[in-house]
Amino acid sequence: MTAAVSIDVPQPAGPRMKTLKLLLLGMGVALLVGLPWYASFGTQRLLVEVFTVFTVALAWNLLAGYGGLVVVGQHMFVGVGAYALFAISNKLGMNPWLALPLGGAAGALFALASALPMFRLSGPHFAVGTWVVAEMMRILALNSEWLGAGGGMPLEALGQFDRWTRNAGVYWAAAAVGVGALLVARAVLRGRLGLALMSVRDAEPAAAACGVAVQRAKLALWVIAATLTSVAGAVAYMNTLQVTPDASFSLNWTAAAIFIAVLGGIGTIEGPILGTLLYFLLRESFAGYGAWYFIGLGSLAIATMVLAPGGAWSLVSSRWSIDPFGVQRDMPQP
Amino acid sequence: MQTFIETLAGGLMLGALYALFGLGLSLSLGVMKMINIAHGDLIVLGAYLCSSVMQALGAGPLTSMIVVVPAMFGIGWLLQRLLLNRVVGRGPLSPLLLTFGLSIVLQNVLQEVFTADTRSLQAGDLALHGFDIGGVSLGLLPLVSTLVSVAIFAMTGWLIGHSHWGRQARAVADDPATARLVGVDDRNFFALITGFVLAVIAVAAVLYGIRTPFSPTAGPERLLYSFEAVVLGGLGNVWGTFIGGLVIGVAQLFGAKISSGLGPFFGHLVFLLALLARPQGLFARNAR
Repeated sequence: MTAAVSIDVPQPAGPRMKTLKLLLLGMGVALLVGLPWYASFGTQRLLVEVFTVFTVALAWNLLAGYGGLVVVGQHMFVGVGAYALFAISNKLGMNPWLALPLGGAAGALFALASALPMFRLSGPHFAVGTWVVAEMMRILALNSEWLGAGGGMPLEALGQFDRWTRNAGVYWAAAAVGVGALLVARAVLRGRLGLALMSVRDAEPAAAACGVAVQRAKLALWVIAATLTSVAGAVAYMNTLQVTPDASFSLNWTAAAIFIAVLGGIGTIEGPILGTLLYFLLRESFAGYGAWYFIGLGSLAIATMVLAPGGAWSLVSSRWSIDPFGVQRDMPQP
Repeated sequence: MQTFIETLAGGLMLGALYALFGLGLSLSLGVMKMINIAHGDLIVLGAYLCSSVMQALGAGPLTSMIVVVPAMFGIGWLLQRLLLNRVVGRGPLSPLLLTFGLSIVLQNVLQEVFTADTRSLQAGDLALHGFDIGGVSLGLLPLVSTLVSVAIFAMTGWLIGHSHWGRQARAVADDPATARLVGVDDRNFFALITGFVLAVIAVAAVLYGIRTPFSPTAGPERLLYSFEAVVLGGLGNVWGTFIGGLVIGVAQLFGAKISSGLGPFFGHLVFLLALLARPQGLFARNAR
């Protein structure tokens, strides 16, 4: 926690509360880490999806809800991260788990490069502009023989591990990415960057007048969100063992992120958690209905935008004042 | 040299169609400050509507416009009245997310009703005729669609510059609050604008459907081409959108000459390069 932000003082918890919290946290971690010993492969693979989709949605929500950067082309980073991991691991014979951070680094570099043209656009133009970049990357991957063209490529290095190790390893990676993303988001929002971003979101001219380096704050957030998204993308395709242009650079990734954020609540950290739970609950129950499932999902998003623009979390927070992640800021009491 | 001229002519004519795609987007961005993510899906909807009308009446695609264009106007009017007006004043991002949801719904409804198979609109003789000018062959159909596009742009430009609606549109675009103060019913006016946008989309959709086979998932690409035409041309400039469309069309066809799979890629690339060189668009209104 940074000491620089004086108005951010969490409520001191009593010693008994603290022990209870630690105990619960320890049990949660044990349940999460020990899962491969008591759950089926199917459950593990589903949870990999849950964690990766959650991370992408959290990153989308950070961009849109705190940076005012609504993105329709976030799937560009999913694909870049996945392709970077597969290419590095296959061509250099590297252990894929060790190559995961490189997938994130590739996403960060790509974010810096794409910011050059994209940051000249703003608002809705930025949103659709990023989609153009994502589409370009899809066409490039589709036409690159080196990356396997339309058929994509398998992750060869995973062949040397037995099934249990492979499944458990990918699951642990996904859990680490999901929890890590949550911690990163919390750290960003509690720190100087979060304060700067929220001031920009609420009133950009006023923030600039107060000395906030608006473009630098947005760029920092863009790179952070890109890194999270590309690591998540890399893990997601470790799970499926094969990366293809049409799946990894697919709008479906961004669509899921937008749906989760809208349903859960844009501009909150709890929103994506709630939204991800709702999304997978709906998917596991109704995905068999095919096109009708997507029609229902889209209609639900539309209804949420019109009737409860704050999403599900706003229904909770309007009734009870809770802040489980300690990221809300209040005026200092005199 | 001959292939060069043929490619250039083909690109310009394809671009005129993209420009027509972009015109509606340019209008809703200019007047309502909202981007409609479902724009491309509405183009595809127009093409399917035309296909159904042709089947039901046994008419040709151009004749069926008599039904399709008013129908799309009605759909646009209702869409704005019932749905989009609820979020239009709430900042630019609410309409974006709402129409994103609409795009997903539309794509899947089209798939449910018309299946995922591709369709095309049969125009009979019109699609087959062509000219031969000094060894350069041009199709009659692309030429007709270019003329239609120019005519619609000219009409829209005149409406904005000289008509009562145009004055209202410019007033609302400049300052919605003041426009409301002097008696512009902006909600109703927005519905008229969206109706008009969808009528233009209907014409573009029919021309597109005659030219290219389409499927329920073809919408997003149409949206991107429209968007590029609008941003390239510069905001608040109708003829800029037209030129922007031409640039994208030409870039795509020359790109496809380099490598057949990379046509749209080069369109996107030219868009990004132009953005780096002139972020305000090629023909932005410099005043203000």
